[in-house]
Amino acid sequence: MASKRREIMKRLLKGATLALLLTGSSALANESVLAEIAKPQQWAIQTGDYANTRYSTLDKINKDNVKDLRVAWTFSTGVLRGHEGSPLVIGDVMYVHTPFPNNVFALDLNDNGKILWRYEPQQDPNVIAVMCCDTVYRGLAYADGTILLHQADTTLVALDSKTGEVKWSVKTGDPAIGETNTATVLPVKDKVIVGVSGGEYGVRGRVTAYSLADGSEVWKAYSTGPDAEMLVDPEKTMHLGKPIGADSSLQSWEGDQWKIGGGTTWGWYSYDPELNLVYYGTGNPSTWNPAQRPGDNKWSMTIMARDADTGMAKWFYQMTPHDEWDFDGINEMILTNQTRDGTERKLLTHFDRNGLGYTLDRETGELLVAEKYDPAVNWTTGVDMDPNSENYGRPAVVAEYSTEQNGEDVNSTGICPAALGSKDQQPAAFSPKTNLFYVPTNHVCMDYEPFRVAYTAGQPYVGATLSMYPAPNSHGGMGNFIAWDNTKGEIKWSLPEQFSVWSGALATAGDIVFYGTLEGYLKAVDAETGKELYKFKTPSGIIGNVMTYEHGGKQYVGILSGVGGWAGIGLAAGLTNPNEGLGAVGGYAALSQYTELGGQLTVFELPG
Amino acid sequence: MIKKTTARLVAISAAYAVTAMAQPAVAQDKVAVANAATAQAAPAAEGGKMVLPNGQDITPATMENGRWYTEEGIPTFKIAEDGTTDYSTFSGYRRYSAECHVCHGPDGEGSTYAPALKDSVKTLDYYQFQEIVASGKQEVSKAANLVMPAFGTNKNVWCYIDDIYVYLLARGVGDLPRGRPAKKEAKSDEFAAQENACMEG
Repeated sequence: MASKRREIMKRLLKGATLALLLTGSSALANESVLAEIAKPQQWAIQTGDYANTRYSTLDKINKDNVKDLRVAWTFSTGVLRGHEGSPLVIGDVMYVHTPFPNNVFALDLNDNGKILWRYEPQQDPNVIAVMCCDTVYRGLAYADGTILLHQADTTLVALDSKTGEVKWSVKTGDPAIGETNTATVLPVKDKVIVGVSGGEYGVRGRVTAYSLADGSEVWKAYSTGPDAEMLVDPEKTMHLGKPIGADSSLQSWEGDQWKIGGGTTWGWYSYDPELNLVYYGTGNPSTWNPAQRPGDNKWSMTIMARDADTGMAKWFYQMTPHDEWDFDGINEMILTNQTRDGTERKLLTHFDRNGLGYTLDRETGELLVAEKYDPAVNWTTGVDMDPNSENYGRPAVVAEYSTEQNGEDVNSTGICPAALGSKDQQPAAFSPKTNLFYVPTNHVCMDYEPFRVAYTAGQPYVGATLSMYPAPNSHGGMGNFIAWDNTKGEIKWSLPEQFSVWSGALATAGDIVFYGTLEGYLKAVDAETGKELYKFKTPSGIIGNVMTYEHGGKQYVGILSGVGGWAGIGLAAGLTNPNEGLGAVGGYAALSQYTELGGQLTVFELPG
Repeated sequence: MIKKTTARLVAISAAYAVTAMAQPAVAQDKVAVANAATAQAAPAAEGGKMVLPNGQDITPATMENGRWYTEEGIPTFKIAEDGTTDYSTFSGYRRYSAECHVCHGPDGEGSTYAPALKDSVKTLDYYQFQEIVASGKQEVSKAANLVMPAFGTNKNVWCYIDDIYVYLLARGVGDLPRGRPAKKEAKSDEFAAQENACMEG
């Protein structure tokens, strides 16, 4: 306990505000995850910490010496498709996952990465066919001597972290109706919080809590439908300071469309131990054809705050009512304690697919900031911030770019951002030293034409066609890596990238920020200025997230390569802009000219 | 434009390209290898007819329910001199982009893991194409995890299967450029009636 307190104190001193989340006084049923996260030598959770800051207090690798970084060791995963997420490090062991078939490797850091055990699940390959956008998996979780693997076919498996033996397993969904998994799970106290993918298959989104001890279901909260199934209290669950009222979801859909209405939950989860609230976002309403689902389609496209013990919703905020562009709301919620307008506040910052960077009070759900984090964003003129307005909190939609107003079978052109958003799931990082967020972004626009589709269980249920291309009248590239001030809603600096930045960022106390690129570069930049300090080209394009750990007194940085995912679909052949005439067709760079498939972990160190 | 003999070689290597990342096995033929990734074989003209490298005639002969067919009754595309596409080809673009794009990439160009269908239709015949779309296809091994679902019960695909086929033909062997077809014929009443009957049937 004494050493644990020392760690916490160290974090308090170094990590300033975010360390307030890690108070050592609370009497939680299970503190194991908090204790493991508090050790900066480890990477105990995919998101770096419960607050999703992806910030490390390690500073041996810093802005003065990062230029000397070199490869320490590498590990091939034996799997070719898109590699998202990152390894975990617990004690002297690193845990590496792969995309489907979702193999797990435990590597001995004391013995040059020797494989201590491996787990190779047997899954029906038919699940591959119902996974939208590659067979990615965003990684393992750890709690109480248990590695938690959530397979593509929605089997949640608890493995003994020492031996790899199965403790228990439970099926969390049904791939026969398009329910699959790509996300990591969130262990909280004695529970495991689990989401579901399948918004392009008409899956009804929900979050389920399972017992960490035996995998039994504890609570389940749907994104749509009757109040009781959504775990809301019409009087106490709030939306922008007002109770949501009875049947809030049912009244916002026509007929039974909500039953196949999406609102899936495949993103990252965060947790505030003091407030005991879990935060996440819900995905797009199904179908992509807005004419087939009149109404606000609640509670798709919504930030949700729920009690970790009961699942009961404390507050919602719907960012994009009646989505018309597939702007899923599932991106991560980053929890920070910062000063705004002279007062210390518990904030939640979220970079939505719709191109707006939101800052809210995470205790109450009050909306503080909603500003564009890519100047190319054009579908809205902004969010109504007047609490007395009937449109309070709603984005004003520009008619020209409204696929609803233009109607079915009409091609709406020049919409920014494209459906993959100004940012997709690739998570941002926050440094309490600079008070800045470091955000990997897409700089891509689209044409979008909705049309009628029929629903068949287990079949794609999309209902729109779109073509995507680099943002016009800009630098010609398809991505930016930006630094963002969430209290003001302003871009501090922006680094143009040739391709979308599809890698999760890492910020460290060494005053540097790391990210990967689709060509395969691991890059380190100055946290204050964005100046590039180091880059190295790994064997394949990077859609994984950068992590760091310390072993034997030495700091390491790790990254998974392995191109694929959404980026591998659109960019493999290059993107074209049909509006720029025939001369421009094929003029944009194809990712296939830069990299090939291949799953590999690369670990970096300083010489000596 | 590539001569007919070269086009046949291209077709051979394109057959291997059906598995997303397979190496062309005909490495002794430099032309075939060089063209495998970006095969742009034009249909060869035989007595005014358009013929695929695999010998399938794709010359439009008759129209039925708003779709063009060859003399053998196989659906095909028709693009006018000024680039105007028949409605079926446009419809195929839309349905391809909604149903197939999430794996096979934009414009039939392929993704990091699924083959470029604009090339596949040059080696598969129409009936093989239909069979794969209806029943799916699997290639699962240590090296590959390629699984295509069966779409035979999906109206969004099956009501438009001929449209998707002719769109991919037009992409692979016709002059249809990438992106949304710029000019198209209007949807005919016959086409609309057949579409409604299928989607609601």
